[in-house]
Amino acid sequence: MPLTVANLEKGHAFPPVTFELSRGWVDQYSEAVSDSTIATLGPGLVPPMAIAALSIRALLQHAALAPGTIHAGQEVSFSSATHVGDTLSVTASVASRGERAGWVLMGVDLEAFGPAGPVMTGRATITFPVDATN
Amino acid sequence: MSPERIVLPDVGCTLEPLVRTITQDTINRYADASGDHNPLHVDPEFAAATQFGGPIAHGMLLLAMLSEMLTVAFGTSWVTSGRMKTRFRGAGRPGDTITCRGTVKSRVGETVACSIECVNQDGDLLISGDATLKIKQ
Repeated sequence: MPLTVANLEKGHAFPPVTFELSRGWVDQYSEAVSDSTIATLGPGLVPPMAIAALSIRALLQHAALAPGTIHAGQEVSFSSATHVGDTLSVTASVASRGERAGWVLMGVDLEAFGPAGPVMTGRATITFPVDATN
Repeated sequence: MSPERIVLPDVGCTLEPLVRTITQDTINRYADASGDHNPLHVDPEFAAATQFGGPIAHGMLLLAMLSEMLTVAFGTSWVTSGRMKTRFRGAGRPGDTITCRGTVKSRVGETVACSIECVNQDGDLLISGDATLKIKQ
């Protein structure tokens, strides 16, 4: 049975993932969110939320979200700009997990590193029905 | 990067709002880019059977709009030092016109803190939160 996020316990560490910010993917992301502003700041600059999106995408390579999972909250902090062609590595771990009224509330910490050090940290808070863990 | 000069904003001033209409196609394209194909977003039949009654936009799609508003307001200062803490209060749906807005709440030295939010065309609150950054001059 494939691993789902719903089955993960507090402390679970996802395997680190490395990826390149390819021109194709950055263009795909920028078009999807209709972001025309970032290009005005400098050539090759990547929208900062793209790093958060890619980090979550990397996480989903290892564990799928249970159907019906809801994103309840998001913290994100940027420390450096990223550019097309940069190679990033992402680490993630389950920082918290609790249950209330039939729902699981889970916090997942994310950290992305670029060539010169950290570029983003964040925490995604998700919630899903307890029966999604069965 | 191109030269830019961001003026330190006064407390109480509002940021230029960002207004955008989302469609199911918008959501599908975000799903493809992000790799998040949760059926709650992209499967109308599945989503209709949930408490939402239909597909909803990814929260991260709405956060991307908030981030763009902050990029317009603060340029590379946002990109290199921004911090955002948000809670999802409601769902953005296909056909919704989303307004992102922000207000400067405090300024200490070069550090600026703003309240930020997303609302739909009916004024329903979809996201609320705070953003902070250091203005680089």
